[in-house]
Amino acid sequence: MAMKTEPFVVNMGPQHPSTHGVFRMRLTLDGERIIDADMVMGYLHRSMEKLAEERTYTQNIPFTDRMDYVSAMTGNLAYVLAVEKLCGIEVPERAQWLRVIMSELQRFASHSMAVGVFANECGVWFTPLMHMFREREKILDLFEMACGARLTTNYMRIGGVSRDVPPEFMPAAYKLVKELPKRMGEYEALLLESEIIVARSRGIGVLLPERAIACSVSGPMLRASGVAWDIRKADPYAAYDKVDFDIAVGTNGDVYDRFLVRIAEMRQSIRILEQALEMMPSGPVHARIPTATVQPGGAPSAPLALRPPVGEAYGRVETPRGELGFYIISDGGPAPFRFHIRSPSFINLTPLPELVRGITVPDAIVILGSIDVVLGEVDR
Amino acid sequence: MPILAHWWDLRNLGNAASALLDRIEAWGAPAWIPYVVAGVIGIVGCLTFLLLSQLSFIWIERRLVARMQNRIGPNRVGPQGLLQPIADTLKLFLKEAITKRSADRTLFWLVPIVILSPGLVAFAVIPFGDGMVLAKLNVGVLFLIAVASLNTLIVFMAGWSSNNKYALLGAMRTVAMLISYELVQVLALLSAVLFVSSMNVSDVVGWQSHFHTWLLFLLPLAAVAYIFAGAVEINRTPVDIAEAESEIVAGYHIEYSGIKFGFLYTAEYFAGFAVAAVMASLFLGGWTAWGLEEWVPGWLIFVTKVYMVFFIYIWSRGTLPRLRIDQLMAFAWKFLLPLSLLNVLLVGGEVLVWQEGGYEAEVVLPIFAVVNWAVAGALVIVWGSVLGHLRPERRPRRALLTKEVGVIVYGQPEPGV
Amino acid sequence: MDDAGTVTAFWILTVITVGSALMVVAVRNLIHAVVFLILSFLGIAGLYVTLSADFVAVTQVLIYAGAVSVLILFAIMLTPRAGRDNTETFLRLPALLLAILVGFTIGFVALDADWAIADRGSFEETASAIGEALLSKYVLPFEIASVLLLVAMLGAILLVRPEGAVEE
Repeated sequence: MAMKTEPFVVNMGPQHPSTHGVFRMRLTLDGERIIDADMVMGYLHRSMEKLAEERTYTQNIPFTDRMDYVSAMTGNLAYVLAVEKLCGIEVPERAQWLRVIMSELQRFASHSMAVGVFANECGVWFTPLMHMFREREKILDLFEMACGARLTTNYMRIGGVSRDVPPEFMPAAYKLVKELPKRMGEYEALLLESEIIVARSRGIGVLLPERAIACSVSGPMLRASGVAWDIRKADPYAAYDKVDFDIAVGTNGDVYDRFLVRIAEMRQSIRILEQALEMMPSGPVHARIPTATVQPGGAPSAPLALRPPVGEAYGRVETPRGELGFYIISDGGPAPFRFHIRSPSFINLTPLPELVRGITVPDAIVILGSIDVVLGEVDR
Repeated sequence: MPILAHWWDLRNLGNAASALLDRIEAWGAPAWIPYVVAGVIGIVGCLTFLLLSQLSFIWIERRLVARMQNRIGPNRVGPQGLLQPIADTLKLFLKEAITKRSADRTLFWLVPIVILSPGLVAFAVIPFGDGMVLAKLNVGVLFLIAVASLNTLIVFMAGWSSNNKYALLGAMRTVAMLISYELVQVLALLSAVLFVSSMNVSDVVGWQSHFHTWLLFLLPLAAVAYIFAGAVEINRTPVDIAEAESEIVAGYHIEYSGIKFGFLYTAEYFAGFAVAAVMASLFLGGWTAWGLEEWVPGWLIFVTKVYMVFFIYIWSRGTLPRLRIDQLMAFAWKFLLPLSLLNVLLVGGEVLVWQEGGYEAEVVLPIFAVVNWAVAGALVIVWGSVLGHLRPERRPRRALLTKEVGVIVYGQPEPGV
Repeated sequence: MDDAGTVTAFWILTVITVGSALMVVAVRNLIHAVVFLILSFLGIAGLYVTLSADFVAVTQVLIYAGAVSVLILFAIMLTPRAGRDNTETFLRLPALLLAILVGFTIGFVALDADWAIADRGSFEETASAIGEALLSKYVLPFEIASVLLLVAMLGAILLVRPEGAVEE
């Protein structure tokens, strides 16, 4: 017996506690089931790609902090790698290891937030988030020691890092890395064994590996679908080819697997940090880069501006969200000709409409939480 | 020493009340005046308890939840933040009360007033101490259930009158939840009533005091079912689906602002205290505590028990995630309801055996307790595995760790914990 | 019905009950009509209390105000928007005449009947009396009612079952 019902359109966002920022989804609901989902993005668009064409290469580094504001170090690193590839600059050893340490600390901090917010969406109302923020606060204190800022770090420079870490950094980092495994054990016990979280996330939002590859999904979302692809191993940068770690892969492609992959990556980060803190050599932290003081033609131009040779380069890193890539075309001037950002959150959102079709609203929110988007990156 | 009949004996506040009533009668008033005055005293007493508890629990709950979350909680307003409830109430009074033009005005204004009644009226039959009951109803337990069922209607009216899709969604979910869990509630309380052979709440408390036991020890399944069903009736986590903040942004009270929202919030606390009071009276012995009530006032013991049960609700709010609505309903209809029915059957059989055999209570009650706990444990495990709650897919796992790049491991068997 | 309290209560409750019942047919908005209906249910429960029928009063609140009203509200929600008004129809005058006729008949019969007025004894417990009666003297109607309720529940489940889908 069919009842005459009519579907209605519900707007989720842009103001909504669970959409990770100003993200809007227009859902067409039939009762509680979603028939169709339409994503509306761009509420945080700041036209970074165009603004970067007016500024020199070094002045563009703070932009990269503000895109993925939750993991600023890796954003800096991706851009700086691209420019180094373009110029052919060799980065000294110590800088490579510092880059690894900062990236892994940032990965741990970002995943703490992602996992905590995911639990928040399952309804736990902030308790695991607040507990995980304990460790994140300590990591942010380390960042403050190293570069003076907690969130928008602006630490990497073309040819190395901006400055060496102060003497109190290493003991503090050692202390932190020693107590992290115990904390991870606590969080795993609290979250992984919780039957309600398992029931809320098992079998939801399954993304098949072929579809994930077709949508260019990357990061924990791709690895949870079963594809073992990690840029740190596939295309190693910084000192990642010198440390020993595993790639965490899921076998089911559902929300629970993405959650598991992030927790396993946190453990692998601890492992990398332990090795890096041991193996870091001393030395300079910044390479001498050629800068032009005289423009071809005689007149002095903007002093100390780096003028890369004409060409293009693509530099990519594995951020906590996926593959962040910068495609830079240089025309020989002090500012880039084209500055394109391949942001992982934006690309990872591609399969969202087909994932949420046919399920209920609470599950859709859990799936959105599992993709782990940062709107600064999506909208740039 | 036994509770004296003097008006100054604080252990039974009813003495003061009856002394006052005798005085009024001595003045030669018509017969109905002491009756009305007794009623008014009882109402004022219940209201005082509820309002004071609610004000203090605004602070207590926020501090407790904050400590569970590694934070401090309110500590700015007044010493240690103790004036926080007053600040909250003032803020709610001063807020602009927005009423949508398309909302159903009469109902919209009626709901905050009416929603306070179920929580308040439930306290009429709950004994605070020896003889400190507002209404000694012979059908007290049934009265409690009837009053709880009125909550369903009011929530629906709140959602409907807001004329808002989110509110309606929240209201429909809530009504479905409340109806399902009313059945579980009734069956849980029924097994308690079966043991005592009386629906009078004072009789249940008296039975527990007479046999020096708590019904919690004798009826574990009923107590747990009632705590869970009570949590559902008052819309708290893990089942606060009606007001799931991270999903539909406050559900049925999304359109209420200002003091109207304050009333809805208060009503949630009142209902919470009512459920905690029912749990304390029926399963935890009410105002008696194995003879302690001769030194400590009975109402103090009762209030402590109510606060302890409410603490369990605060604790689960700070810790547990939220269930989805269909999982919650499946849990009620497939798990709790059959188990409660079996429990009633078992308890009925036990009472029959006891009354027909004429055994001594000291012999029979421990046997019943052991049998009930064993059956409860066995039923939960067996029925849980039949329903698939213990299936391997439901168990927690770990991610696979590999060093090869580019392989696809989708569909492989997963490593265990 | 001797003392002033019962008489006052009776009159107040009667005004509430009959007044709400009249408002049910008089208001325009259907949801308001349901609210008045609920009020009249509660008034009837009060009237049961004045007759010392405690079990029936509480059951009235539980079943009528708690469950039947929700049923009516759901039924209203499922009707299309157009049918939600208590508007004027051409049947108003005939319905009013019929109601007055039926009311007159019932009133005449009620006033003319020879009610055997029993003396109100002391208050005795009704719940146990009803329970015993249901399980000894009236056990057959009790069982038939249970079977009827079971059939209704099964019918409801069958009607809303999705086609061939088995849920987890």
